[in-house]
Amino acid sequence: MIGNITLGQYIPGESILHKMDPRSKIIWTVLLMVAVFVINTWQEYVIMGAFIALLLVISDIPVKQSLKGIKPLVLILAITAILNIFFVKGTPLVKLGPVMITYEGIISAVMLFFRLVMLVVAASLMTLTTTPMAMTDGIERMMKPLERVGVPAHEIAMMMSIALRFIPTLMEETERIMKAQASRGADFDTGSLFKRVKSFIPVLVPLFVSAFKRADELAEAMEARCYRGGRGRTRLKQIHFTILDLKASLAGILFLMILFGSRFLTNAG
Amino acid sequence: MIEFRDVYFEYGSQSVDQPVTQAINGVTERICEGEFVVVLGRNGSGKSTMARLMNALLLPTGGTVWVEGMNTSEGEMIWEIRKTLGMVFQNPDNQIVATTVEEDLAFGPENLGVEPLEIRKRIDEAARYVGMEEHMGHSPHMLSGGQKQRVAIAGILAMEPKCIVLDESTSMLDPRGRKEVLDLVRTLNRDRKITIILITHHMEEAVFADRVMVMDSGRIIMKGTPGEIFSRVDQLKEAGLSVPHVTQLMHELKFRGIVRGGTTLTLEEAEESLKGVLVKAERKADVIQDSAVTRESGEAIVRIRELTHIYMPGTTFERKALDGVSMDIMKGEIMGIIGHTGSGKSTLVQHLNGLLKPTSGSIEVDGLEYSSKILKELRQKVGLIFQYPEHQLFEETVYKDIIFGLTKMELPEEEIRKRVKRVLEILGLSEELLEKSPFELSGGQKRRVAIAGVLVMEPEILVLDEPTAGLDPQGSEEVFSFLTELNRSNGTTILIISHNMDYIAAYCDRIAVLNNGSLEMLDTPRRVFSHEERLHKLGLDIPEITRLFRNLKGSGYPVNDHVLTISEAVEEISGIVSGQGWDKGGMIL
Repeated sequence: MIGNITLGQYIPGESILHKMDPRSKIIWTVLLMVAVFVINTWQEYVIMGAFIALLLVISDIPVKQSLKGIKPLVLILAITAILNIFFVKGTPLVKLGPVMITYEGIISAVMLFFRLVMLVVAASLMTLTTTPMAMTDGIERMMKPLERVGVPAHEIAMMMSIALRFIPTLMEETERIMKAQASRGADFDTGSLFKRVKSFIPVLVPLFVSAFKRADELAEAMEARCYRGGRGRTRLKQIHFTILDLKASLAGILFLMILFGSRFLTNAG
Repeated sequence: MIEFRDVYFEYGSQSVDQPVTQAINGVTERICEGEFVVVLGRNGSGKSTMARLMNALLLPTGGTVWVEGMNTSEGEMIWEIRKTLGMVFQNPDNQIVATTVEEDLAFGPENLGVEPLEIRKRIDEAARYVGMEEHMGHSPHMLSGGQKQRVAIAGILAMEPKCIVLDESTSMLDPRGRKEVLDLVRTLNRDRKITIILITHHMEEAVFADRVMVMDSGRIIMKGTPGEIFSRVDQLKEAGLSVPHVTQLMHELKFRGIVRGGTTLTLEEAEESLKGVLVKAERKADVIQDSAVTRESGEAIVRIRELTHIYMPGTTFERKALDGVSMDIMKGEIMGIIGHTGSGKSTLVQHLNGLLKPTSGSIEVDGLEYSSKILKELRQKVGLIFQYPEHQLFEETVYKDIIFGLTKMELPEEEIRKRVKRVLEILGLSEELLEKSPFELSGGQKRRVAIAGVLVMEPEILVLDEPTAGLDPQGSEEVFSFLTELNRSNGTTILIISHNMDYIAAYCDRIAVLNNGSLEMLDTPRRVFSHEERLHKLGLDIPEITRLFRNLKGSGYPVNDHVLTISEAVEEISGIVSGQGWDKGGMIL
């Protein structure tokens, strides 16, 4: 049943990563992801991989959980890796008619594979240690300075958290409507592509109608509870940049220095 | 506390040919601090509009509304008014804003600009008060309906209101959830002196009020104590309402001159006054002789054997929803399926038309066993109507919506027209509706149109999940009467999932009781409801009338304790009182 899926995959814990300010987590996740794209030697790969593995250990998240995010990407990973194997030119290893597998191709496929895995793990490290609420809170605070140039930071964050709140509800609703229409003879699984797309109209119309109705009622409920935008609003959970974030950031900078420092060293050597 | 002075409200028209709707039609009324007021009224009587006028979600188009001396039409007091007067809405899902219970409770105080430490204190206290302190970190969609409404109430308590308005907040809940919410508001009213305004169409909820108001077409047509209101049975019926079953019973007995006195509201009162007219005597245990039992020798249209269903097997969410259920459903019977939320009722019926595939065991419907090839045929044989079926309407016109399923059956146009006409007749819908958009109709009409969409396929078996949910007493009564009609005239086998034991007792031939995915009992209503203690353990009630008679018999009075409906009860009592009942125990059965 769809309803059982917890959103945002947050796993409660007491690790340093859990306790960090969501803002520093967001910034560092972005920096790490950029770093993953920049690295290109095997030494750098090893350092990067070791660092992410270290974070994983610190976070107390079971390895299985953090790798779960890769599952849906397996097909894409496989296709890109295979394309790399066949299309990167270089020293040929095997030749099968017009198809040629090269040494460089294999190397680049392996590297690409690890690069993507590291990306996914880095990103899920953040979502697994941060509640969706804390995440939107962090985004709101980070966008706060932009309010002066007219960016509705509070509204954007509120919209994001409401979306998060209603995704499971709407998923349940979709399932229910599909079952109801199937009981009335709707057929979602057979026929041409066009026919199948068309068969979703009986699902989409009621879904939209109900989503608008929900939006209406929710707005009313929010108003009844004195909601009037971000102004003058306090928050139950204050997020603070603590000494912990400072230490973590210093560790992060140190790591980046080692990572790219090694690049100069190998270049020099 | 709250005062309406000659208030009018009309909804603006959305198109040229649509007239303005006069929702409130001259209401002058005062509600005092600490009162517990229940507002009754059929669907569309204007009671929800009343609620919205109280906290300035709507502003009167004529007259004024005052809350604690503040005029709602004067914009600057609006937040103060909403802080004083909290509102709990109907749909538990659409009023929870945040992704965790804790954050949602904090939403109100945050809006008021309360300091974080103070918010913490208030929400912890409020959560404890409503008994949700252990669910603070939970995601709202994991909670039951009753729990969600308790969260909504706690969220309002954290804003320290003086008054709470509940706008049909119990109508989407099961009996257990409804009791949770009612107990809570009664305590709030008693211990904290919070004014409660409860809007509902469940008559039993009005019994505990200090004062009851009845609304119809935007006016308050009756007001008084519950006793005064429920003594006017006929007037209430005219307003599309009913009275609690015991009240109805005593009313009819009074009409026959058997009992005297004021209006009876509770079971205890009924028991007392019946003890006054009955004489204690011995009575042999009554043997249940049900005519419906003979149906067991009929022909089974559905054969279920060792049916087991497991959701999401192999994952951490794995859940056994059905566990080895075996039963036969007889051709032409009306079967009730009862069990508390999560007992497997919905899972069971979804196997009937192949929406779910058995994990193990088998189900055979009129000779068809589940396989992807026969799905189409199966779904024509078994019509399944979900809760709130009106939520699936989607076509431009009522006609197109009704024939949606038929178009897949490749029937001639003429046959389609004929079938639609027949269905409209059974459901009591007028043909003028056919060219309207389904979204223009009233709630009750929408429900019937949605049901029509299934009936036109002329299923041999019709399955309905809570067909009366959200309908007022008159609407519910109509649903059950056309179902009986359908059963009688077309011989359609009907399965009804319902929490309403009174309807189940009155209309079903047999009842299947489910608990934790297993079949606990399968028998006639009379036999099933004779196991009061056993049902109680499963979180289920017996009809109020049956309970009354069991209590009387328990106290040594010579009554048959297998009585299920009001008319049976009236017969039984008048039979005994006129002295004929002594030796003919159980004659009416």
